[in-house]
Amino acid sequence: MAAVLEIENLFKSFKVGFIPKKREILKGVSLSVAAGEIFGYLGPNGAGKTTTLKCVLGLIFPDRGKIEIFGHPPLSAKGKEHLGYLPENPYFYDYLTAAEFLDFYARLFGLRKKDKEDKIATLLRLVGMEKARDLQLRKFSRGMLQRVGLAQALINDPALLFLDEPLGGLDPLGRKELRDVIVRLKQEGKTIFLCSHILQDIEMICDRVAIIVGGRVISQGALQSLISERVLFTEVTLSGIDPADLIDLGEPVSTLGDRILLKVVQEDNIENLMALVHERRGRIHSLVPRTETLEDIFVEMVRQG
Amino acid sequence: MKIRAIALNTFKETIRDRILYLLFFFAAIALGISRLLAVLTVGDRVKIIKDVGLASISIFGVLMAILIGTGLVYKEIDKKTINTLLAKPIQRWQFLLGKFFGLVLTLFIMTLAMGLIFLVIVLLHTGKLDSRMLLAILFIFLELVLITAVAILFSCFSTPILSSIFTLSFYLIGHLSWGLETLIQKTRPGTGRMALRGLSAILPDLENFNFKTEIVQGLAIDPRFYLFSALYGLVYTLFILALAVLIFKKRDFI
Amino acid sequence: MTKTATLRRKGSATLLIVVLIFLSCGGLVSLKTAVDRIPRKKIPGASIIYIPSGKYLKYATFGYSSLVADLVYLWAIQYYTTYTIVDRFQNLEHIFSIIAELDPRYADPYEIGALIAVNEARDLGLALKILDMGLAKNPDQWIFPFEAGHHAQRAGDYETARKYYEKTMRIPGAPDIAKRLYAAAGFRTMDLEESWKIWLEVYNTAQDERTKRIASKHLYQVKSTSDMNLLKGAVQQFRDRFQRLPSGLEDLVRVGILASLPRDLDGKDYVYNPKTGETKAPSVWWKR
Repeated sequence: MAAVLEIENLFKSFKVGFIPKKREILKGVSLSVAAGEIFGYLGPNGAGKTTTLKCVLGLIFPDRGKIEIFGHPPLSAKGKEHLGYLPENPYFYDYLTAAEFLDFYARLFGLRKKDKEDKIATLLRLVGMEKARDLQLRKFSRGMLQRVGLAQALINDPALLFLDEPLGGLDPLGRKELRDVIVRLKQEGKTIFLCSHILQDIEMICDRVAIIVGGRVISQGALQSLISERVLFTEVTLSGIDPADLIDLGEPVSTLGDRILLKVVQEDNIENLMALVHERRGRIHSLVPRTETLEDIFVEMVRQG
Repeated sequence: MKIRAIALNTFKETIRDRILYLLFFFAAIALGISRLLAVLTVGDRVKIIKDVGLASISIFGVLMAILIGTGLVYKEIDKKTINTLLAKPIQRWQFLLGKFFGLVLTLFIMTLAMGLIFLVIVLLHTGKLDSRMLLAILFIFLELVLITAVAILFSCFSTPILSSIFTLSFYLIGHLSWGLETLIQKTRPGTGRMALRGLSAILPDLENFNFKTEIVQGLAIDPRFYLFSALYGLVYTLFILALAVLIFKKRDFI
Repeated sequence: MTKTATLRRKGSATLLIVVLIFLSCGGLVSLKTAVDRIPRKKIPGASIIYIPSGKYLKYATFGYSSLVADLVYLWAIQYYTTYTIVDRFQNLEHIFSIIAELDPRYADPYEIGALIAVNEARDLGLALKILDMGLAKNPDQWIFPFEAGHHAQRAGDYETARKYYEKTMRIPGAPDIAKRLYAAAGFRTMDLEESWKIWLEVYNTAQDERTKRIASKHLYQVKSTSDMNLLKGAVQQFRDRFQRLPSGLEDLVRVGILASLPRDLDGKDYVYNPKTGETKAPSVWWKR
């Protein structure tokens, strides 16, 4: 499958300060996004995620390196026809209503009048903003702006969608809705490039990820291959047992009333623990095996980098 | 087409700007005051009304152009609305031109409104309409177009306050052009003089658009001069816009 | 502190502020009226006087020079009608020259400046200077020398008036009356030949009856004055020779002092009073 987005050896530095000092942000970023996948781009704050994105979108001019979108360079009109972009902390023209705003962008794509109106209505419905259609954007809350932002990114039915920290600032319901939308878009055949540092969401929906630390991509690949299924430890919540008896079996994490949260590392100890509880007529409230998460890998990699 | 979309959007943005209406309000007051001032004079009353009227349209028009124009591009960059815009298939120069034409349209409407009030006041006072007043107002508008281009140029790389100062300086320098002439005549021939001559050629001569005095006094103006001024204005505006496009083209939007 | 006590405190604070506002307002108004009563030595904007030259002010007006000219002129009118400033005429020429530099073609200031100079400052020379400035900057405007002539004439300086009327005459588009005034002033300065010539010209080029009549009246006046001068001189000669007044004008011809007796324009004889020796014209020139 041809790569939808190809970045090779991207370098970018900025001159910062009154006496310009060169600060290198991107120190040779390379990655590749295939068609129809949800690609996660992760990294700590300041690693260069947004800078990479802006280089791809033609907002920033890289010092060195090659970028190809559907085989075209970033600034070409062909490259941009099939792109959609939702920025971090979106802010749009205050004085326009949601409908006017989408109409304005639709005109930039040269959509015909009838198509335009249908499209706007559909998109507003998709992001759940039909009721706010004629409300001025200045009155929108952060979450509402995010939704309208997504609508704007989809106005040209793009094949490649760039989302920069789209889930930040949404309430749990909003995040679930957005995750569902992203998955649905993938099912429609779109490719999605997702920048984020909220690892739980990435873990839930991404197919492949790249991790950028200090301006370099230190890891890239399918999510499944990065995370092993190995169980790290098990968290057991129990009550009715004397803490003294539990010392050999596991590490007490916290106590609330007579409930104890125990961290059990050895798998055998779980069976022993369950036998003990049964014997002493205690109760096990929960038993949660913790597998390696993306967060674990991530923290480890950042620490190493 | 795309420039038109941006222009219309910019027009919607600027026509809702409160500064515009504040300035328009002051302009209307100034036009009203012209009648009061006329009462104080001994002799020709209409001259006072015409002078104050045209000067008001000019001053407030320039203020509108500067105050709104200098924020136009800067706001988009500062508020990052430009990022989503430029991610769409639109060229940077189309964006810039769209902004320019949007503001020009707004200024056109404002000048028309102020001009109408002025002409009505003059009509009430003299009972007749001098078509040359329209010419004076037209050339004031042309000057505003050029000032707008300059404001947008500075807005591409500077904060609104600095841009306002630069654009205002441009306006003031443009009206001091014959101060430079006198300086040239007083300088001894040599490199200094040539440098000054070069400077005077490139610096804007905004007096070219200033027909206020002649028209109020009823003096004749060679029609070729009108044509020349209009052409000068358009060419200079083109020059400034080209500069702006150049600066804007290679800019990183961090 | 109880709730009502707090409320009362808040209420009295507001009341205090309101009282303060009213007091300061009243204070402002009474202070202003008191200050207004003090006669001012200067009025605001008087620093205009200290501007060295209008030439440089023009550079500082950025294309609004005619507006600034209007404003300075308006200010000047207020300044010169403020009678408490006793030394205000010192800078009359300076201020009006500033206005002239800013907008040379603005006619009113020259005229009004001259009026102020003549009527209030009682300085004819100053008025003429201002009007000269106007003419220098507007050589096609006949109104300036015309008014100068009028001012000079009113002050009794016919020589100067005559010079200005001549200047007026030479400007194309000047009204015909300028010519007549020139001739009349000329008559006053006793340049009778020139006066006769001009009046004759006026008479011959007159477009209407009225002008012709005026011209002929003046022609009569000039001729009769000239003739009467001649007769008076002759009578004096006779007196010197014969130690007595002639009994009639014919005596002057008889003894050879005059070749013939002049007649007035209508062909009538001059009236001679043998007792006083005075000659008079048979008609009053302006009643003809």
